[in-house]
Amino acid sequence: MASVEIVGLKKLYGNVVALSDITLTIESGAFFTLLGPSGCGKTTLLRTIAGFHFQDAGTIHIDGKSIENAPAHKRGVGMVFQDYAVFPHLSVSDNVAFGLKQRKISAVDIKSRVADVLEAVQLSEFAERMPHELSGGQQQRVGLARAIVINPTVLLMDEPLSNLDAKLRVDLRAELRRIQQDLGMTTVYVTHDQEEALAMSDVVCVLHDGIIQQAASPLELYNQPANKFVASFVGGNNFLKVVLKDAEAYLPSAEASLGPVSATQTPIVAAVRPENISIVLGEEKLKKGNVSVPGAINQISFIGREMEVHATTDTGETLKIIARPDVDVLELKAGARVKFIFAKADVILFEDNENGLRLEDGLRSS
Amino acid sequence: MSVSVSNTLSSLRRMDFWTLVTIATVVILFVLLILPIFSVFLVSFFDGKTGELTLDNYIRLFTKNYYISGFKNTIFVGFMGTLGATLIGVPLAFFTARFRIRGKALISTMAILVLVAPPFIGAYAWIMMFGSNGFITNFFASFGIITPTIYGAHGVILVFTLKFFPFVFLMTQTALNAVNKSFEDAAENLGCNVWQRFFKITLPLVFPAISTGAIICFVLSIADFGTPAILGRGFRTLSTIAYSAYTSELGGTPTMAVTISLVMMGISMLALLAQRHILAKRRYASSLTNPPVVKQLHGWRNIGVHVFCYAVVFVAMAPTLVVVYTSFLKTSGPVFIGGFGLQSYTRVMSDAPEAILNSFMFAFIAVMFIAIFSSLISYLIVRRDNAFSGGIDLMMMVPYLVPGIVMAIGFVTTFRTGWFDLTGTATIIIMIYFIRRLPYGVRSTTTALRQIKPSMEEAAVNLGANPLKAFVQVTLPLILPGLIVGSLMSFITAINELSSTLILYTAGTVTMPVKIYISVLDGEFGLAAALSTILLFSTGICVYVVFRFSENKESSFI
Ligand SMILES: Nc1ncnc2c1ncn2[C@@H]1O[C@H](COP(=O)(O)OP(=O)(O)O)[C@@H](O)[C@H]1O
Ligand SMILES: [Mg+2]
Repeated sequence: MASVEIVGLKKLYGNVVALSDITLTIESGAFFTLLGPSGCGKTTLLRTIAGFHFQDAGTIHIDGKSIENAPAHKRGVGMVFQDYAVFPHLSVSDNVAFGLKQRKISAVDIKSRVADVLEAVQLSEFAERMPHELSGGQQQRVGLARAIVINPTVLLMDEPLSNLDAKLRVDLRAELRRIQQDLGMTTVYVTHDQEEALAMSDVVCVLHDGIIQQAASPLELYNQPANKFVASFVGGNNFLKVVLKDAEAYLPSAEASLGPVSATQTPIVAAVRPENISIVLGEEKLKKGNVSVPGAINQISFIGREMEVHATTDTGETLKIIARPDVDVLELKAGARVKFIFAKADVILFEDNENGLRLEDGLRSS
Repeated sequence: MSVSVSNTLSSLRRMDFWTLVTIATVVILFVLLILPIFSVFLVSFFDGKTGELTLDNYIRLFTKNYYISGFKNTIFVGFMGTLGATLIGVPLAFFTARFRIRGKALISTMAILVLVAPPFIGAYAWIMMFGSNGFITNFFASFGIITPTIYGAHGVILVFTLKFFPFVFLMTQTALNAVNKSFEDAAENLGCNVWQRFFKITLPLVFPAISTGAIICFVLSIADFGTPAILGRGFRTLSTIAYSAYTSELGGTPTMAVTISLVMMGISMLALLAQRHILAKRRYASSLTNPPVVKQLHGWRNIGVHVFCYAVVFVAMAPTLVVVYTSFLKTSGPVFIGGFGLQSYTRVMSDAPEAILNSFMFAFIAVMFIAIFSSLISYLIVRRDNAFSGGIDLMMMVPYLVPGIVMAIGFVTTFRTGWFDLTGTATIIIMIYFIRRLPYGVRSTTTALRQIKPSMEEAAVNLGANPLKAFVQVTLPLILPGLIVGSLMSFITAINELSSTLILYTAGTVTMPVKIYISVLDGEFGLAAALSTILLFSTGICVYVVFRFSENKESSFI
């Protein structure tokens, strides 16, 4: 168990800025997830912590000790690889014992520690198998066992589940989280899968273009995204144009006001989550606090538990709605006219510029 | 200021085992490769007698008839040999890749045996068949038929063709097996007939492989010494001229020999550059989603294709078979006296045991070093992405291009100084084998290492192994098959080395190829045959082991 403190970390590949000024703190025992689209610098950050390459600037402290210039084999951090990296020429137990042997631990201790950790990852009966006799999921358990048996200060995992099929991914996800909590091991987990990130983590850190967008608990990240990027990357969002009228945020697509806002110079935009919009076919009295946006259906896909509707408002803005499947809606043809209803309380306002920051005080009341 | 100091300090602290390996490799390549070539280069600009700086050597080379004809001859036999090899190799590759041929493995195996057989065995076996006293010549002469002589340019071209076609064949075959069938299907779908499809689609797609095979043939033909030396009879190429210049300049500075050798190297390099230039726009990568099908031919086409394939490999193998056969003929001194016997082998044991011992010892020691360095160097090339590793990768091309004679003369001028003199020692021969055959080892281990994900070593390092330990405990076991194949290839080519040994050997360091060469010149065919058979046999064992260890069998040899 150890805390991690990264300050002003910077990494360039030639002219490409892979990480720019990363500063973050990971508390001891936390499950900390780096989330972001492919190419945003997640792997680079993880590998910099592991020492596989060196930063161009910045410091990394683990438990207060500076490690940014230590060689990789002396950092004592554990790593689980995306492609497992299980040594093909060693048996499962030799793989797990590898790190212990480097530490000159007595054979007796190695044996018992290997047995313990194999039990923890439910691989006891495979101890003498060779890696090619294992499935992908089992190989990744070996990778995990091998990393945690050395009692690393921090456990690093780079998309460890991304090479596994969907069902196994969900199972292993829960197991990983359980083992991490049992050991109380500080973990830095990398994924591009937001569902995975939200399901497992204590803290999710969203990365984009080598810059930290927001680091927060899953709930906070979802409900109070720091900016437009986070709002749309995590969970998806619909953005609707807002104009300021008499210090009120007026939504042209609904021909309604959302409520008073504090005066702002920059243009603003309203975000509504796809699952917070409902589709109304006929006439229906609008409840207080709701707004209604008229528009037309483009496409409806039925995906089992839910349906996904793509639509265009009369003002020409696109909408995505996710809702429980509704027979009446599913029967609609493209072009059918409907109303999209959502609560003003579900709306979040952002600056409509490059940074797209959330308006701190948002809608003052409604 | 303080920032840059701390940066330097931290980059010093970041130095690891591989930094040391890089430095060691650069030093070795400098001493064994760059320095000798550079010293040869320097020598060519000095007057042999007066020691003055001059361009005379080059001027002489391009004005004196003797040299000009040698130059023309070299280009001529090089070009014609390459053409012949291509004309045989491409159809053979196409037939074996696209049609069902019985005993396909046998054909590939024979082609590989041709490739690894000592280069000059071919030359003198042809003399045994078609030479002035050859058994085929004599056979026809007994009916009053006069067969064409084997000596001269056409003989050299014939031997080059039959000796080097396996390069074109094996490379083209590998490429043909990797052509996505969808391309050919698409051409057919768009209205191409069989021939149009071949010439408009298939051939252009495998052209890079054909041209690479052809360029290897050309470079080897230019540098080949044994064949024109044995079969030339007055038809001189640059390599034989360089060698006789060297022997006549012995003691003095071998300026003329060096100048000629450099021109040979220049030709090889120009050819390679030209090929690279042509290929630059013709790199086709495609994934093999739809592998080509092998068709069963019927009737006379089937027979014709089979006859062609077997005829090619049997004719190419003929010299080797003749050599083995000859080695078991009864002899008395240099004369064959009819019937079979083991006298040639007894002669080997009494006259040349040291040649066998030396050959194995030199090749073995050189290969030990090659194995160590090629695994380290391939790691630098594959895993370290910096200017040095790029430069080392490039340098690994050089030994392929430098004729043995150039390397050897460079070694003599570099390692015979006022302070120390390595000439005449076993060390200098081992050193030259090492540097000349290192690329074979490096290439094979590099290929093996590229298959291994870097995360393997990273995992080891992450678990606390230092870079050296990670390499020894994880990387090395994983590239071992490739390392073994590469070492064997180096061994095969080292133990068959003639041209540079011929310049560096002394009575105490004679090797099998040198002894064979001398015996042939002395007309001691029985002795030469027995030694060649021993050499062939050793080579054959290595080939067998390569087959056992490599996944893609044929392409290990090219
Ligand atoms: N070895 C490298 N050389 C050059 N650019 C690289 C290298 N590795 C990564 N990059 C670049 O750095 C950026 C971040 O890459 P990476 O950390 O792998 O992203 P992620 O893991 O989030 O997908 C990308 O733009 C990528 O193209
Ligand atoms: Mg990544």
